[in-house]
Parts: sequence; structure tokens; C-alpha cells
Amino acid sequence: MLLELENVTIPTFDKQRIIVNNVSFGVKEGSIHSIIGPNGSGKSTLAYTIMGLTNYKLKSGKIKFEDKDITDKTITERAQLGITLAWQEPARIEGLSVAKYISLGVKEKSRIKEKVKDVLQTVNLEPEKYVDRFIDDSLSGGERKRIELAAAIAMQPRLIILDEPDSGLDVIITEDFWNIFNKIKELNMTILLITHREDIGMVADYGTLLWRGEHLITDEFPKVMLQYCKKAGLKEFCKRALFKNGVKCFDDDYIDKIFEGVDLND
Amino acid sequence: MTNNEYPEEILQSLEDYNIDIRDFLPGHGSGAKLLLDFNKISGVEQVEGIILKGREIDNGIVADIIIKEGTHHEEPIHLCFGVNKESGIQEIFPRIIAEDNTDVKIQAHCSFPNANGLIHKMYGHFYIGKNCNFTYSETHYHGEKSGALVAPVAIIYVGENSTFENNFNLTKGTPGKVKIMIDIYAMRNSTIRSNIRAFGKNKKDSIRVRDSIFLEGENAKSLIKMKAAARDGGEVLMYGITEGNAPHCNGHVECNEIVLGKGSICRARPFIRATDPTSSVSHEASLGRFPQKWLDELQAKGLTEQEATDILIEAMLRE
Ligand SMILES: Nc1ncnc2c1ncn2[C@@H]1O[C@H](COP(=O)(O)OP(=O)(O)OP(=O)(O)O)[C@@H](O)[C@H]1O
Ligand SMILES: [Mg+2]
Repeated sequence: MLLELENVTIPTFDKQRIIVNNVSFGVKEGSIHSIIGPNGSGKSTLAYTIMGLTNYKLKSGKIKFEDKDITDKTITERAQLGITLAWQEPARIEGLSVAKYISLGVKEKSRIKEKVKDVLQTVNLEPEKYVDRFIDDSLSGGERKRIELAAAIAMQPRLIILDEPDSGLDVIITEDFWNIFNKIKELNMTILLITHREDIGMVADYGTLLWRGEHLITDEFPKVMLQYCKKAGLKEFCKRALFKNGVKCFDDDYIDKIFEGVDLND
Repeated sequence: MTNNEYPEEILQSLEDYNIDIRDFLPGHGSGAKLLLDFNKISGVEQVEGIILKGREIDNGIVADIIIKEGTHHEEPIHLCFGVNKESGIQEIFPRIIAEDNTDVKIQAHCSFPNANGLIHKMYGHFYIGKNCNFTYSETHYHGEKSGALVAPVAIIYVGENSTFENNFNLTKGTPGKVKIMIDIYAMRNSTIRSNIRAFGKNKKDSIRVRDSIFLEGENAKSLIKMKAAARDGGEVLMYGITEGNAPHCNGHVECNEIVLGKGSICRARPFIRATDPTSSVSHEASLGRFPQKWLDELQAKGLTEQEATDILIEAMLRE
């Protein structure tokens, strides 16, 4: 396992409440692992905690990266070990150019201009049009998110956490995203993907379902999705939407059975 | 004269401001030039429509720059006031006249790379005529030792229908003790923009800037933007002053400041006053630290908090 969470419990800043309760699961090296769950189930909180943000401290539990305990490591140390995060709502900063922003996390600065160009191309932005612009309010929401993704890829991290890379973007770009994920995979990065879109989630090899801060299941992604649908009472949606590479993941009969209460593993 | 007659060390700091050094070298580019090496004029290049005259005095020079009526120049006039000694006194008296219907820019660079007790004083008078478009940009570099004692004063008259832009940038190196006073008088239908940026990096740095705009003519407009950062004991005090003294004039002052580290003091303060009831003057100010989220985002790219802060300061102070 590249990343392992052991009984991770995360409180609110004021420590009055628990947001994520006793969650354990692992992320396999080289996989796309998707975290799904309804709004407010604790997905972003978990992402921030794995990244090590100052205000997200564990109440109990352990986080391991490449078998080393990183629970007490700072955000900078974790980034230097090879973890990064592309934010759900990345910041707008006046005066910081796209080229500069993307190159910040690149360790080897030789050929930096070409590297910046390459990653912009990876996220389907024309380099000439963007390198000299600023990551301020002048960028559209979709452009800013693509640049966020480009900056994370440019770092060549071992683990890249993507918090809803698709939110605020057009549905038409699903195809686009599949291509981007495939390119990231080719670069030997492991992806922890948070998304609300089942079509985008379907690129994932594995999944974890969070429900009100509790861990319900970690398994192959379609199975996790099936469980999610069952929890949410979305039988027809399940029959309609669970395709992988154009092939239906489960027979309708099987879905009926699952919804009647038969255990997934029977 | 040849390039190597002017000490290149003085010009080196231009690179930090992303300005091409070659533009300042005699024999290059098409702009007028005046280069001062301590108290010695070491290069003057004239272009058509612009009279550039320097006269050496005891501790410096009197420099007369006259832009003849109707002159338009894309390429800026380059002025370099340099000293590569550690100490001494350099005094400059620029007298700048832009006659009516002119359109020019001045790019001035004050560079003291080895300053350690050096004193630089400037008393500038600007007269901008009618229907002009005039930009004055000044960058400073006072070395990395202890900076210099720098005290420029400028009095600027901006005529009817003219636009005057002032850019002052003191963000590289260690500034030392700096005291800047600018008074701008704006006549009818004129437009003034003044951008001031300064960064105090340590205990040796104490920067005071007073930028005043007096809107004296009907419909005159102005905008002051001040950006200041202080860290590790540095001190920056900036006052952006605007007076609305004529009918329908309109001024705004914007101040942003960032304070970091123990003992640092940073104040970017707007002062506004309206004596004409139909004038309007306003201000806004922000102060403090960078949002935690900005730091988190940069740190998630492997930067330390200090490195992330430096990047954010640089972004904030950028042109
Ligand atoms: N500082 C806090 N204080 C109190 N509650 C908090 C705090 N931070 C997060 N929460 C709550 O914790 C829950 C989990 O939030 P989180 O942002 O992790 O959810 P999410 O699964 O990412 O949701 P979404 O799908 O909407 O992005 C939410 O109910 C949220 O309101
Ligand atoms: Mg979220």
C-alpha cells in the first residue's frame, strides 16, 4: 500500500465534534482510488488531513505513507515526500503568473519552460495563451482548476489528491478527464480522486464510501458505487449508470437482488 | 563612449526588476539617456525633441530635461543614478519640463549595490504641460549590506487634460533608511495614477513614503495604490494623501500591507480630505497576513512557510 489510514478520527477545529470517525483503508500504488459519499460526509476533511493542513489534526489514529508513519509530519514535509493536493476551490492570487505557479513544485528546474508547457498541454490549455497570465480573478473557474491540476502534475508526486477536479466544469469534458487521468497514470502517480460524478469516478480502480463521517466499504469501484446507490435508494440509476469501458458492471437481476437485501459478497 | 566605461555592477540590479540592462547602455536602443556615476556624468545621449543637460555640482548634478512641444517617444528616457562606492553623498536636482502635447516615459534607476552609509538626495521639479501623457517610473536598489540613506522629494505640476503616471518601486535588496515625499498638483481634467511599492526586510530598513495628490482643477481624477510589506523587524510607513479641492474631482486611495515576523511595523494609510462639496474622495485599506489557505496551497507544493511567504510578497509587490 502506498497510503494507509488506520483508525483515523478527525475532530472539528474547536474539537467539539467528530467529522471523520475511525476510518481505515489503504490506497494501492499505481491505482486510481476514488472517495465517494454525499455532501458533508467528510471527503474534503479527509483529503486535507492526508495532506497535513495545519488546522486538520488527528484526534486518534495513524497515517502511513510508504510504510512510514507521517502522522506528525507537516504539510511541507509531506509534499516533499511526494504527496500533493489539487484544491476543490483553488485560491486566486494577484501577481502570481501561471508559469511561476506551475513551476513552484518542480524540483529539477532545468528545462522548466518546457515542463510548464507540457503540463499545460496535458490539461488541454494552449501554453502560449496561458503562461504569462496570472492566477487571479481573470481566469475562468474551469481554467483555474485545470491550472491547479497542471501544477500538481508538474510536481510529479507519488500521490496526487484531487478534490472534485470536475466540479464547476462542463459535462462535455468527461472524455477530457479520462485522458488526463490516463496521462497521470502513465507518469506513475497514484491518484486519490474525490468526485460526485459517477461517470468520472468510473475511471477508478478502487473506491471508498464515506457516510456521515463513517467508513462503509473499500473495494473495487463498481462495488462501492453499488453500495452507495443502495444506501441512497437509487436502483434505477444503478441500472442505468454503472458502466465501465462501455460494459455494464452488473446484471439488472443482480442489482435487484442487492437492493432486496442480499449481501454484496454472497 | 563604450559600454565598459559605465560600471556594469550598478546596472546589474535592473535584472531583478525585469528591466533590460541594455536599454541603459550608451549606444543601445533609441531612447535618450543620462548616466551618473557617483558625482560624475558618464554618459548622455539625446534624441530628437528631448533636451537632456547635466551640470556637475559639488556633491552631484543638476539635470535639465526638456521635452519639446509635440514630442512623442515610445522608447523611455533612461536615467541611472548610480554609486558603487560604500559611502559618500550624491545630490540630484532634476528639473523636468514636458511641453504641451507630448507623450513620453522616463525610466529612472537608483542603484547603490555596495551602499554602507551612503547618502542619496533628490529634489525634483516636474512641470507637465497641457494634453500630455507622461509616465515616470523609478526603481531602487540599495544593495544587501545596510542600505543607504535615501531622501527624494518631488514636486509635480500636471497641466490640463494631461495624464501622469508615477511608479515607485523599492522592493529588492535591503533599502536602509528611506524617506520619500511626493506632492502632485492636478489641474483641470487631468488624470493621476501613483503606484508605490516598498518592502522592508530587516531591522536596518525603515521606509517612509508620503504621496500626496491635490486635485486642484475641475474633473481632475486620481488613484493612489500603495503596497507595503515588512518582515523580520523592518518598518514601512506609507501615507497616501488625496485632497479634493475642485468641483467634480474624484480621488481614490488604496492601501495594502502585509506584516510578518517579530518587531516588524507596516502601515499603509490613506488620508483623504474634500474641500469642494461636489468632489469625491474615497479609500480602502487591507492589512495583515496572507490567508492560511494561500500558504497551504504553496506548501502543498513542497515550499516551506518562509518560501511560500516570499513568493506571495513578490506577487503582491509586482507591477
Ligand atoms: N471547522 C468545522 N467546524 C464544524 N464543522 C465542520 C468544520 N469543517 C467541516 N465541518 C463539517 O464536517 C462535515 C464534512 O465536511 P467536508 O467538507 O469534509 O465534506 P465533503 O464530503 O467534502 O462535502 P462536499 O461533497 O460538499 O464537498 C460537514 O458537515 C461540514 O460542515
Ligand atoms: Mg468537499
